[in-house]
Amino acid sequence: MFHQTPLKTGAVLLLAAAAVVYAFTTGFFGLELLTEVAILAIVAIALDLVAGYGGMVSLCHGALYGVGAYAFASATVLLGWGGGAGVAMAVAAGGGFAWMIGAVSARTHGIFFIMATLAFGQMAYAYFFDSPLFGGSDGMPGIARLDLSGVGLDLKNSLSYALFCTVLALLAYALAATLLRSGFGRTLVGIHANEPRMRALGLSVWRHKAAAFGTSGALAGLAGALAAQHTMYVSPGLLHWTVSGELLIMVILGGLGTLVGAVLGAGVLVFVKHEVSRFTDHWHLVVGLVLIATVLSGGRGIFGQIEFWWSPRGATRRAATEGSPDHA
Amino acid sequence: MLEVRDLSKSFGALAVTQRVSLRVAPGERRVLLGPNGAGKTTLFNLLVGELAPDSGQILVDGRDVTALSVDARARLGLARSYQKNNLFAGLTVRENLGLSAACAQGKATALLADSRRDPGVVETVGEVAERVGLSELLDASVDTIPYGARRRLEVGLALASKPRILLMDEPTSGIGPGGINAFHAFLHGLPGELTILIVEHDMDLAFGIADRVTVLNHGEVVFDGPPQEARDSALIREIYLGSWGADGGTDGSAGHA
Repeated sequence: MFHQTPLKTGAVLLLAAAAVVYAFTTGFFGLELLTEVAILAIVAIALDLVAGYGGMVSLCHGALYGVGAYAFASATVLLGWGGGAGVAMAVAAGGGFAWMIGAVSARTHGIFFIMATLAFGQMAYAYFFDSPLFGGSDGMPGIARLDLSGVGLDLKNSLSYALFCTVLALLAYALAATLLRSGFGRTLVGIHANEPRMRALGLSVWRHKAAAFGTSGALAGLAGALAAQHTMYVSPGLLHWTVSGELLIMVILGGLGTLVGAVLGAGVLVFVKHEVSRFTDHWHLVVGLVLIATVLSGGRGIFGQIEFWWSPRGATRRAATEGSPDHA
Repeated sequence: MLEVRDLSKSFGALAVTQRVSLRVAPGERRVLLGPNGAGKTTLFNLLVGELAPDSGQILVDGRDVTALSVDARARLGLARSYQKNNLFAGLTVRENLGLSAACAQGKATALLADSRRDPGVVETVGEVAERVGLSELLDASVDTIPYGARRRLEVGLALASKPRILLMDEPTSGIGPGGINAFHAFLHGLPGELTILIVEHDMDLAFGIADRVTVLNHGEVVFDGPPQEARDSALIREIYLGSWGADGGTDGSAGHA
């Protein structure tokens, strides 16, 4: 079950501090990278919520993220709504679509659940790719960022936007941690541990899974709204299943079911991509090798491994359950 | 409280439950007896909804629940412990009991409040742990506690949902004589209004706790009556206590008088 351990709190504060220091010392390109990390971290947190804690491995989180981005773009560009309403629309669209996917897929498990989410995700991708209303394969340009001049924040400024996204990523972590400590989150972990018994105890399991998937989708939708404002442009590529695959790589690399690992994985993947592609076009090769090494070394991921090393000094319980990354 | 009418279930040509009817009164302790393969566990699976019957009805408080899902029946107060431990692996005893208590108390959908700090959940977890003798092991992982403790947690999970009808499937299997005595004491400590159906192989325990005994053989009810009658029934000796009777009937009846 989820515990907001001192190690987790320390790691989150350290990552937040590193982001802020980096933001103030780097140039324009660094700020672009930081913004990308912060946005992807939110989707990765959303994914870890259902995959790491709920056992629902999803290959449609890219699509949920993309649906959020398109919802923001449609609301602000096509309907002329304000930015705040656009964000609300993105959250609702991501959450609603995810709830629907969860409700339909909740009765399937393992590979069939993954395939069901993949099918839904690719359907959404195909829709936006062909839809003239949303610009088809060209996507939609001309998206404006939120106007926060009322609170003295100019989001058109790269530094402001990077910090804004970092703060939202931190809030997303706090929200996910709160949910996982709640009865809702603990029950989700219970479903992962023993779904038939949870049902025998009186839980409507599919309803719970759908609600969890919907919540995750709402977070992914929020990240999509931030991504649309970041590049000021949305394209169907955001919804492609390879984006979902990369998100899964982030979460597994950082540590599935650790929450902090999702953030760490987003950071590592974005910076590895950037640094390695300066030397070679084959950065996927490097990521692939790192991922294989992670999986072969116990599958705990970076933060999972750190928690594993840390655990003997912690509660005896954690030492007792070592070797089962599912139950971190 | 719980009524079963003409319940039947077949797997292909094998009739595992045949026109079973029984009626359990509120607060009654009913013991289900029968040799291996008599259909006791199948009957439990039918009662809680894990299997759908081919025909017949199941009623809780006069309400037909035959078409209800497993979880809907559980919410009506029907809880069940399993013959084979069916716990939340990797979690602690406290977390296991907490999941059950939180679910029964409607805290499974609370989004913000920490369910482990919820007064109602904390109280139930403490009370059930006390009843099943797990207070010392609350923070141990279920993967590391002894078999007997896991067996008690199995019953504790069902109990923590505060059921009105509790079905226990061989709760004392494999826990030894000391465990059986402790279980006897545990049963007597349960609230009198709780209706209990129990599949039990230990004769002393079964006859010691039963208000009524139902004996199944080949999926059929072959006896339904008070334990004294069950003990004296020649039919039961033949089908179920056969070897026991053959070992020396006088010893048997003297030892279990």
